[in-house]
Amino acid sequence: MTKKYYGGCDVGSTTGKAAILDENGSIISTTVVPSEIDPEITSIQALEKACAQVADLNSYKDLARIVGTGYGRNEVAFANENISEISCHAMGTFYCNPDIKTIVDIGGQDVKTIAIADDGSVLEFAMNDKCAAGTGRFLEAMSRIFRMDLDQFSVLSLNAKKSIPVTAQCSVFAESEVISLLARKNPPEEVAAGIKASVSKRCFSLLKRIGMRPLVTVTGGCAKNQGLIKSLSKKIKMEVTALPVDPQIIGALGAAVFARRNGSA
Amino acid sequence: MKLFQELLENPQNQLFEQAVADGRIPIGYSCSFVPEAFLMADKLMPVRLHAPGVAGTETADIYLSNFICTYTRSLLEFAIDDRFDLIQGWVFVPSCAHMQRLYDNLEYLNKPKFSHVLDVPRKVTDATIAWQIEELTMLADKLSAHFDVDMSDASLMTAIDEWNNFAAVIQSIGELRKKSAPPITGTEFHTLLMAALVSPKNMILPKILDFQQAVEKRDNAGEFRARLMVMGSHLHDPDFIKIIESQGGLVVADLFCSGSIPGFKTVELNGNPIKSLAEHSFKKTLCPRMMEDFDRRLKTIIDTVKEYKVDGVVIEIIKFCDLWGVDSMSMVSALRKEGIPVLKLEREYSMGGEGQLRTRVQAFIESMGK
Repeated sequence: MTKKYYGGCDVGSTTGKAAILDENGSIISTTVVPSEIDPEITSIQALEKACAQVADLNSYKDLARIVGTGYGRNEVAFANENISEISCHAMGTFYCNPDIKTIVDIGGQDVKTIAIADDGSVLEFAMNDKCAAGTGRFLEAMSRIFRMDLDQFSVLSLNAKKSIPVTAQCSVFAESEVISLLARKNPPEEVAAGIKASVSKRCFSLLKRIGMRPLVTVTGGCAKNQGLIKSLSKKIKMEVTALPVDPQIIGALGAAVFARRNGSA
Repeated sequence: MKLFQELLENPQNQLFEQAVADGRIPIGYSCSFVPEAFLMADKLMPVRLHAPGVAGTETADIYLSNFICTYTRSLLEFAIDDRFDLIQGWVFVPSCAHMQRLYDNLEYLNKPKFSHVLDVPRKVTDATIAWQIEELTMLADKLSAHFDVDMSDASLMTAIDEWNNFAAVIQSIGELRKKSAPPITGTEFHTLLMAALVSPKNMILPKILDFQQAVEKRDNAGEFRARLMVMGSHLHDPDFIKIIESQGGLVVADLFCSGSIPGFKTVELNGNPIKSLAEHSFKKTLCPRMMEDFDRRLKTIIDTVKEYKVDGVVIEIIKFCDLWGVDSMSMVSALRKEGIPVLKLEREYSMGGEGQLRTRVQAFIESMGK
C-alpha cells in the first residue's frame, strides 16, 4: 500500500462514528455503528467497518494516523492522539463549509454550541449542564411515548398547525407531561411540535451564550430530525445551513482532518 | 503526598483527633475573613470546615432551599450527621446570605457549644480597621471566657509568630510554581494546602517540610501543554484540579477562598497584635463580597497571570453562589479585554460531571492553540 489514509473516530454515548480521508484530504469512507459498553470496542467496530469500504485497507491498523474524539476518546488506547469533540466538530464543519460560523451539536447525552474562527478553530463554546433535556436521549424517550421510531417522530411535527407548549425543562417531568397531553386527546403532531420547540429554546439559549453568527448549522445525530431543524430555524429566525455530508459524522470527520494535518506535518 | 490525601478523607482527620486528645480546642470556620492566627492562640486550633465525599444533602435540603449553594448545604448535612462532633466552636462571618442561613439553622438544629458571628464590613475605609479591632476584641473576650484560654497580646503574638513561620513555608513551596518547569503539580499543591487548613499547624508542619525537601529535588512535575490559573470560591476537592491537569493544563496558580494567593500571607506586625490581624484580614482576602474592590482583585489576577506565566484562567463557581456567580460575569469580560483566555465552569461542591469537565477543559486548552 503506497497511499496513506487517515482515520477519525468519534466515540459517542449512543453511536460510534468513523471517517477516513486519503492523503489528498478527500473523504473515502464514513460509518456509524451503535455504541457498545466498552468505548474501545465501539471505536474498533466503527473503524473496521469504515476500512472495509476501502480496497487498500485491511484493518484500522493500516491507517497512517488515528485521532479519537467523543466522550469515549480517552479509552481509545490505539489512537495516536485524542482531541475534544468541540474542536473536532468545529474542524469537521469548517472542512465541509468554511462559511459556517456557528454550530449546534445535539448529541446523545449533551448539547453544545460552538463558535468557529476563520481557521476552523474554536472561538467559544457552551454546553448544557448535567441534564438530559434537549439531547438525543430526550428525543428518544419522547419518541417512545408516541410509539414511533426516531424517523417517524422526526417528521411528525412537520404538519402541525400549532405547537402545544411543553413546560417541563426536566426530561423525566417532560415525559409525564407529554403522556398527560396525549391522554387528553391533544393532536400528537402538535404535542411533538411543542417538544421540539422546547429543545429549540434550549439550543437558542446556548447559542446566545456564544454569540450567534451566520451561517448556522446543526451537527450530531439529532440534526436528522426534520421537525427539530424546522423549529430551530423558526426560533433563531435564520435558515439552518445543511451540510453536504451526514451531520452525524462531523465529529469523526474533524478528527480525521486533524489526523491528516498532524500526521503529514 | 499520600499522607496529605488521607488527611482530607474526613472532616476531622487523625492529626486533628490526636490534637483534641492532647487538649487542643478546635474551632471551625468557613470564611477567609477569620484570621487563622487568631484561632491559633493558646490551646485553640483553627479548622477550615469541609465536607469531603459528601454523597447527598437530603436532610439539609429540608432546611435549606435548593437555591442555597451546595457547600453550605453539605456543611449542614455533616453537622446534622455529627461529622463535626469534636469541633467545640464555630466562628461565622456573614459573608453571604447562604452562610447566614447555615448559622441560623445550626443554632436551631444542632447548636454548637460555642458560636460567634464576626461582623466584617463590606467596605474598607478608615473606620473599617477600628471596627474590625473591636470585633476581634469581642471575640477574644468571648473565647477567653468560654474556653479559659489566654487571648492576651503576648499569647496572640506567639500565635502570629507560629502562623508566620507556617505561612512562609507554604509561600516558598508556592514560589516553585513560578518556575518554567514547576516541580509540583497544582493537584499536589492543592492537596497540601487543604491538608494544612484542616490539620493542627504544629503537627503537619514537619510533614510539609519533608515534602518541600523532596519536591525541591525534582526537575519538573511532568509534561504539560499549558499553564493555567484556577480561581473561585470554596474549592476543596483536589480531584477537580487533577481532572484539569489530566487534560494537559498544569495549574500553576490559584485564587480561592482556601488558596495561597493571596491567602497565605504572613502577618505584618505593627506592635498591636489585634490591629495587625485586623489589617491582615483585608490584605490577604480578595472576596467579591467587598464593595468597590473589583479593581484590586482584577489587578491581582492580571499580575498573577504575568508572574506565573499563565496561558489561561479557569473560573469555577459553585452553582447559586451569589458572590462569585455575579462577580464572574464582569471578571470574564475584564480578563478577556486584557487578552487573557477564560473558561468559566459552574459546578457543585462535590465532584461530579467528570466527563463534561474533561471535555470543556480540553477544548479550552485546544482553543488556545496549545
